Amino acid sequence: MTWIPYKRSWDGIDSTGHNVNAGLLEKDRNLYTIRAVPLTDVHSIHRHAPPLGWQYVIVVLSSGLAHPPLYFYNGGVREFLATIKQHVSLLRSRDDANVFLVNDLQDPLQKSLSSLELPRAVPGSNGTALHSSISSSFSNETPGRLNDATVDGKSTTTEYNGKQKQKFNDPARDISIQVLEKFSLVTKFARETTSQLFRESHHDSSNSYERMQWMNSGSINMASIEPTIKQKVPDENPATLDSLQVDKLSLVWGKARQSPLNYVEWATFLDSEGRVKDSEALRKRIFYGGVENNLRKEVWRILLGYHAYDSTYAEREYLASVKKSEYDVIKSQWQSISPSQAKRFTKFRERRGLIEKDVVRTDRSFTYYDGDDNQNVTLLHDILLTYSFYNFDLGYCQGMSDLLSPILFVMENESEAFWSFVALMERLGPNFNRDQNGMHSQLFALSKLVELLDSPLHNYLKQADCLNYFFCFRWILIQFKREFEYEQVMYLWEVFWTHYLSEHFHLYVCVAILKRYSRKIIGEQMDFDTLLKFINELSGHIDLDGIIRDAEALCVCAGENGEACIPPGTPPSLPIEAESMYLPQDDDL
Amino acid sequence: MDSSSSSQPDFDYLFKLLLIGDSAVGKSSLLLSFTSDTFEDLSPTIGVDFKVKMVTVGGKKLKLAIWDTAGQERFRTLTSSYYRGAQGVIMVYDVTRRETFTNLSDVWAKELDLYLTNQDCIKMLVGNKVDKESERVVTKKEGIDFAREYGCLFLECSAKTRVNVEQCFEELVLKILDTPSLLAEGSKGVQRNIFKQKPPESDASTSGCC
Repeated sequence: MTWIPYKRSWDGIDSTGHNVNAGLLEKDRNLYTIRAVPLTDVHSIHRHAPPLGWQYVIVVLSSGLAHPPLYFYNGGVREFLATIKQHVSLLRSRDDANVFLVNDLQDPLQKSLSSLELPRAVPGSNGTALHSSISSSFSNETPGRLNDATVDGKSTTTEYNGKQKQKFNDPARDISIQVLEKFSLVTKFARETTSQLFRESHHDSSNSYERMQWMNSGSINMASIEPTIKQKVPDENPATLDSLQVDKLSLVWGKARQSPLNYVEWATFLDSEGRVKDSEALRKRIFYGGVENNLRKEVWRILLGYHAYDSTYAEREYLASVKKSEYDVIKSQWQSISPSQAKRFTKFRERRGLIEKDVVRTDRSFTYYDGDDNQNVTLLHDILLTYSFYNFDLGYCQGMSDLLSPILFVMENESEAFWSFVALMERLGPNFNRDQNGMHSQLFALSKLVELLDSPLHNYLKQADCLNYFFCFRWILIQFKREFEYEQVMYLWEVFWTHYLSEHFHLYVCVAILKRYSRKIIGEQMDFDTLLKFINELSGHIDLDGIIRDAEALCVCAGENGEACIPPGTPPSLPIEAESMYLPQDDDL
Repeated sequence: MDSSSSSQPDFDYLFKLLLIGDSAVGKSSLLLSFTSDTFEDLSPTIGVDFKVKMVTVGGKKLKLAIWDTAGQERFRTLTSSYYRGAQGVIMVYDVTRRETFTNLSDVWAKELDLYLTNQDCIKMLVGNKVDKESERVVTKKEGIDFAREYGCLFLECSAKTRVNVEQCFEELVLKILDTPSLLAEGSKGVQRNIFKQKPPESDASTSGCC
């Protein structure tokens, strides 16, 4: 939708522009221009038909931001709404017959936003205070110009300085105040939602608003915009939104990534005996920058929970030696199976065969595992087979070699790699359950998160019968191992393992990627086959840093609503009852 | 990234084919060998993969949508959902590993009976890795006997040397083209595809939801 004032006559109402007779000064024209707003961006349209004076409408965006009133000097509000209705669903608000909700809001977050709608008539008494709560350019320019209007193209040339506050009853000014108040409420809402997560970073209220704004604009950018509208949108329109500095406000992502944690900094997190002093601070630090490769060995064991955060150097060393013997005992169990015994032990042979087949095709192009007779490939095999004896119920499943590979590469030690892998599998084991319940609960949670954070995509997938999210199966099963370069995978995993913003940050990463391509998916009407192919072929083409930042912003924006989408016990959360973690896999390997 | 989806639907039929069989028998390699004339060591398939190949058979332009499934039994609840709507299934075994062959009758043939939606669906038995002739344990005759018993086509091939790879798919497709009910499904696919690729303005008025 585009609105260009200052035209002498109606050009007719069409999907691209709604022109109105107005003779405004150039500055005013800029203010009143609405530049190419996707209809998906529009939250509602408020119709005002005062008994005296011109009809006008106010367009309120999903972000809570509203445009200055659009006046209809020759009527046409009805036609305007009818035109809009041809392109989007227009729903009359139950609370106010003059409010038309543009996009049917199904997700709870947007509902919360829409519930922030104020009653219409807001007295201007506290306007000044409200003005101070947002950016100055907005507050200075917003007061409307009822008297600037023209009739039949002739300017009445009543000019006034926008910075002066008009005392008489100026509907436009009332509206601006109303908008501002709503603005501050949105800010408040966002702040409340995210207060816990943004304790340190929020020095002013605009920060949380920015995040809210980003999320909304994200969903809009990705949303399906009818091509006919998009193509006709003129590019050269003066940018009112720019003048309101919305660009600055709107495109805020998650925080910039930092450099990886190095030895010097790592030392500052430890006390003299090697305990992590502030695990929260450490996890936060790693969340934002990862860990230098040579430090991973030490840090991963703690992140994975193999070593406790409050363990000392000595305790860690001791545990490692105890665990080494324990590993050797378990390993000797399968090593001691003689060939004639194996001949009569089909399950063992099959399990071993599967592992043998898989380790020789796991990351063989990566230097650590390349070449013939590579010892590290043998280690992968031994660790996996030992794990299948350690956890006989779960056994071996394809995908496990993908998860072990970076761990062995980092640990460079069989026993340490094994126990780190065990710690990881405490959380990801249910991914490999025979009944696939771990996967299904994550895919379900993902569908709920997309419903919350990208309702156009959700609606599309629902209509296309793709809500099982099987196309994200690989992403989740092996934690994006196949989607990124080796080094990137290690970095992403340590971000996941911090559980800093959420235990289920990987699901927000899924949402962030889907959101990036949401417009393409919807626009090209991908069916399940096409979508699966598309997602599989994204491998190697995803901008990791950008996605992590998106995911962070989404996670923060979703807040408690997001966590509520994820059923308790969903991996990688530890199971609710430790005993029931691995159900016997009946006749499986 | 995907040029095939945006190009004109210049094909006569769209067929869905499915590759099944034990882990590491060479399903993905066979597919890669067929679609891109290359052979390389591939990672185990996680879940399913999917490739498209355009071929001309008997003067007809065909779009083949080929699904490549994970072999491990544990993924079967997932992979079985992909059987729906397939016109052709390739059952792959490794001629150097007997259990991959016996599992076809013990496991995979039963799966097919359970999940295939079109009973006319053409089945093809493929013994892979004939390049390892010295390690062969399943004879060609055993393959032929199996194929006769289960009423399927049969070929031996090598994804590595590409021997008989094209032929596997070609024979399967020829048989599909010979089967009226599958042909009808295949052209429905084309219809659907053409509809999908119409300029979006035609359905703009109906898709007001977003």
